[in-house]
Amino acid sequence: MSTAIEIDDLSFAHTGADLPALERVSFRISAGESVALLGPSGAGKTTLLALLDGRLQGWSGRVSVLGAPLDPDRPPPSARRPDTGFVFQEFALVERSTVLRNVLNGRLGRMSPLRALMGSPTKHDLEIARTALADCGISDLAERRVDSLSGGQRQRVAIARCLAQEPRLILADEPVSNLDPARACEILALLTGAARARGATALFSSHQPDLARRFAQRIIGMRDGRIVFDVPTSELNDNATAELYREVEPSPGIGLRAVS
Amino acid sequence: MAFRGFGGFATSGLIATAILWSFATTDVEFSRLLSAGPRIADFLGRMFPPDPTVMAEIKKGSAETLRIAILGTLGAVILSVPLGILASETMVSPAVFRPIRTLLAFIRAIPLILVAMLMVGAVGLGPLPGIIAVAFHATGMLAKFYAEAIDGVSRAPIAALESAGAGPLVRLRYAIWPQMAPVVARDTIFRFELNLRESLILGIVGAGGIGFYIQTYVRSFQYDKAASVTIAVVVMVIAIEAINVALRRRFA
Repeated sequence: MSTAIEIDDLSFAHTGADLPALERVSFRISAGESVALLGPSGAGKTTLLALLDGRLQGWSGRVSVLGAPLDPDRPPPSARRPDTGFVFQEFALVERSTVLRNVLNGRLGRMSPLRALMGSPTKHDLEIARTALADCGISDLAERRVDSLSGGQRQRVAIARCLAQEPRLILADEPVSNLDPARACEILALLTGAARARGATALFSSHQPDLARRFAQRIIGMRDGRIVFDVPTSELNDNATAELYREVEPSPGIGLRAVS
Repeated sequence: MAFRGFGGFATSGLIATAILWSFATTDVEFSRLLSAGPRIADFLGRMFPPDPTVMAEIKKGSAETLRIAILGTLGAVILSVPLGILASETMVSPAVFRPIRTLLAFIRAIPLILVAMLMVGAVGLGPLPGIIAVAFHATGMLAKFYAEAIDGVSRAPIAALESAGAGPLVRLRYAIWPQMAPVVARDTIFRFELNLRESLILGIVGAGGIGFYIQTYVRSFQYDKAASVTIAVVVMVIAIEAINVALRRRFA
C-alpha cells in the first residue's frame, strides 16, 4: 500500500515561543487510511496539520506528503496544493459570497491563473462543484449567502469546497468542535465517508475520544508536541486516553503566587 | 492625567508660551474687532437680496466643480488600487509597504490648494489642473483606506484559498475582495464627498469650478452675485451629503 504521509523526527517551534510546538514526531499513514489526532488543546495538533498543508516553514526533520517531500523553507509548489484538502475549525468561508462561489473557490488551484482571475469556471469545474454540493447534502443552498447559514451548514460548505479540490489527502483541524454533538457526528460521518468513497486518506484532529473512536481506524495521541501513543482504534484503552488528558501536576509556588 | 508631574508642567508652559508669542507678534487690535459690527452689517446688507441673474454662471460653475470632483475621484481610485495593495501588510512584505505608506503620508501632508497652484503652473488654467490636483491629493487618503480595508478582512478564507493552491491575485479576487467591497464603496463615496467640498475653492487659484465666480464677484464688490453663488454651493454640498448618507446606508 502506498504512503500518504511520512514524518520522520519532525520538530518545530513557533517564533518567540519557549517550548517547541512539535518535538521529534514520527509516524506514517498509508493511503486510504482514516486517522484521528487526539489530544488536549495545545498538544500541537493544529500546528502539525498546518505544517502538513504546507503553510508552516522553518521546521526540522523529514516530511513527505503524497509521495513528495515538503521543503522546510518554502511552501509547496501551487500545482501540488490542491491534492491536499483542508477543513478548518472556523470554516474559513467567504461570508458575503454564495455557497456555490465558496465551493468553486476549491477549484481555483485546478484552473489556470487566468481562468481563475476571469472568474469563468469550465463546465467540468461546475459539474465537480455541483457533485460536491450534492454529496454534502446542500444542493438547495447553492445560491444562498454563507452569512445566512447555520454552523452545521457552514461546515458542510467547507467540506464541499475541500471535495471540489479533488484531494487525495483530507486534513481537518477540529472540524466539529464548534458544533453540537448531533451535528458533530453528522459532519464527521460525512467527512470520513466522502474520503472513503473517493479513496482519499483522512487525518482529522479532535479533543473528544468518543468521536475519534467512532470515525477513525487508527488514533494518534498527542500531548505537549509529542506522540504519546499510536494505535488501531480497537486497541485504544481508557488508561491511554486518561493519561493523555491527565492534568498537569501543580508545581509548588504557583498557588502561593496566585494568592499574592 | 495628561498634565501630571514635570512633563505635564513643561507641556503647560509650552502651550502658554505659544499662545503669548502668537498674541505678542500678531498685532491683534481689539479696537478693530469692536468697529467690525457695522462693517459686517454693511457687507451682509450688500449681499441681500442675492442677485438671481447669475443662474447661468452658477450652472456652468457647479457643473464644472462636479466634473472635477467626479474625474478627480476616478483618478484617485485608479491610483489608489495599486498603491493600496502595495501599502497593505496582507499583500506585500514590510520592505514594500513601509516606503509606500511613507509616500502616502507625504502626499496627505500637502494641502490641495498648494497642489492645485503647482498644477496651474504646470498645465495652465482651467479644470484640468483641478482634476489632477484632486486625484493626487485624494490618493494619499484613499490608498491608505484601501490598504486598511485589505488588512481588515478575515484571514481564514485567505489561508483556505492558499491551501487550495490559489495564487496571491486570485486570493485577492475571491477571498479578500468580497470581504472588502462594502468598505471600499463606503470609503470611495466618503472621499468623493470630500473631493466635492474641497474642489469648490479650486477656482480661486484658477483650477476651475464654481470658486472662480465667488472670487470674481467678491473682488469686484458684487456681493449680491457672490451671495447667490454661495447659496448654490451650500445647496450643492447639502444635496451631495444627503445622497451619500443614503448610499452609505446601502453598503452597511
